[in-house]
Amino acid sequence: MNIVFDLFMKGLILGSIYGLIALGYSLIYKASGLMSFAQGDMITFGTYVGLLFYGILGLPFWLSFVLTFIAAFIFGILLERGVIRALMNKNVIAIYVVLATIAISYIIQNTAQAAFGSMPLPFPSIFEIKNLTIFGITAPAEGYLCVVISAVLMVTLHLFMTKTKFGTAMRSAAMDPVAAQSCGINTSLSTGVTWGLSAAIASVAGMMLGPMYAAYLELGAITGRKGFAGAVLGGYGNMYGAMLGGLIMGQVETFVAGNIGGTYKDMIAYALLLLFLFVKPTGIFNEKAIQDV
Amino acid sequence: MLEEIKNQNKSLVKPLMGGGVGLLVLALPFLIGSILTQYWVFVLCTMLVYIIAVSGLDILFGYSGQISLGHAAFFAIGAYTVALMKKYLGGYMPNEWTLFLFILATMILAAVLSAAIGALLAYPAAKLKFHFLSLATIAFGEVVYNLVNVSPGRITGDNTGMVITGIQFLNKNPLPKYTLWYYFLLFFVGIALLGKHFLVRSRTGRAFTAIRENTHAADGMGINVRKHKIIAFAVSAFYTGLAGALFVNLQQGITPEASKQRQSVLFLTMLLFGGSGSMVGPIIGVAVIEILMELIRPLKEYQMLLYGVLLLIVIVALPGGIYSGIKDAIISLKRRKLVKSNAATKQESKEGDGYAGNK
Repeated sequence: MNIVFDLFMKGLILGSIYGLIALGYSLIYKASGLMSFAQGDMITFGTYVGLLFYGILGLPFWLSFVLTFIAAFIFGILLERGVIRALMNKNVIAIYVVLATIAISYIIQNTAQAAFGSMPLPFPSIFEIKNLTIFGITAPAEGYLCVVISAVLMVTLHLFMTKTKFGTAMRSAAMDPVAAQSCGINTSLSTGVTWGLSAAIASVAGMMLGPMYAAYLELGAITGRKGFAGAVLGGYGNMYGAMLGGLIMGQVETFVAGNIGGTYKDMIAYALLLLFLFVKPTGIFNEKAIQDV
Repeated sequence: MLEEIKNQNKSLVKPLMGGGVGLLVLALPFLIGSILTQYWVFVLCTMLVYIIAVSGLDILFGYSGQISLGHAAFFAIGAYTVALMKKYLGGYMPNEWTLFLFILATMILAAVLSAAIGALLAYPAAKLKFHFLSLATIAFGEVVYNLVNVSPGRITGDNTGMVITGIQFLNKNPLPKYTLWYYFLLFFVGIALLGKHFLVRSRTGRAFTAIRENTHAADGMGINVRKHKIIAFAVSAFYTGLAGALFVNLQQGITPEASKQRQSVLFLTMLLFGGSGSMVGPIIGVAVIEILMELIRPLKEYQMLLYGVLLLIVIVALPGGIYSGIKDAIISLKRRKLVKSNAATKQESKEGDGYAGNK
């Protein structure tokens, strides 16, 4: 029984990360109707920038956290303003925007490689104690931090989206940009903030992954794809679905790794995604696709 | 009168140009081989393989409007099928000709298998909308990549890949190494492009275009959208699978790298860059991107970075690809000519034969 709880805890940690990333994907889709492949690499961005602040410059953890958040936020807004806006104005077909985000993803990956080298870099741990044992479940201390921070972020985001004026404005801009604009909502700012937020969330997810998995280049891409899968699982575009989907992905992957073996866990995750896409593409929360081909 | 004679002469220009291009294409390996090294003839051969693969993707995306970000999976399926069959079935070959025929058979079989898998994937995937379809193709690509990277029983050699000694006699000949390969591949490219040409102009091809433009309208016209989407997938997979089978013979080996996401994106980039939905587009796209990749290869670490930057610049600056850019330029030139000649004829008729006309 202990093993089950152990696996559950690990799945929870992984799942909370996937949930955050999935959240980013769904937010962008809800706000712009676009798929951004750069999200996975925002994780890489977060890991390396976090490493820069925390490991190399030696700033305290909470400061690095906030700085990474801000840096990624700015990066996300710049990305939206610079690349996405330019492409949308040219009225190109959506695939070009997707390809542009893929290009951005390559740029981020390889800038990181050029700047930090291809070897995995050790991320200094946040706490002195290695493992914490709560309720008889042992997990790395950073893992608990992960879950806590993810939960806090998700709750904060939920409150922001529902209770604040700006958050509600963002939601309405996502639902119907024209109507929102006629109500006086600055949809352009709202879209920018959405991209910035998604980037920031993914980055802090990356920063939390760092202590557990070390900073290496592929981390972002692999985790990003699974987060993507989680977003689809829960209903692409649905915030809560994304969180749930990410958690499910985390649990499935951990249980497969624990029982069948680590080599097939990636494949199982993608196979699950394929299954969901074929059987129920709208996901758990039954989110209708905005775009109709 | 003079105009008509001039126009008659003009009609010879196109076939002459075509003949000239044809001669150039045939002479290419010798030209490249003498100006540059044999390595570049190898690159030329790789280009030919990619042209087949990207043409396949074009049938799916350019003509049927279905996005596939996992096409490298079919490439790998084609390649690995040939490699596996050679390893496990190609035991004893009495002479080189039997080996050649065997390899040929495996290539066709690999392409057919690839097409079958494509059809199988298309069956549920055809009903997915844009981004879901792309996600499904990505997931499919990842599944295939994981399968060949960590295969059961290590039959695919896992991440070190497989090495096969394929069609050998194309290497041993009095001509420089890759020349015969070039013609061998050129033959396949010719067949592939011809097939695509006829497919596009056939009823099925027109159905593809209709589906691409407006799925609902096509459905309303009585086109079986699902069936045609599956056909598009299957044919596209056949092409790319065949390309993979040729590739593994050219390279004499295959690694899981060929099925990675990066390869799929490369194919799509080549297609979009050159211009989708055309015969020439894939050729231009493959040629330019391959040359670019080779040129930035000496930069080692910065190669992929530069590739990303270039890709971004191209997408933002020239979204239609080179082919549509050229087409637009030609159209605007023609328009200018037409306006000029219209103005000239108007002038002529005004000053013309003195007939009062409407006065």
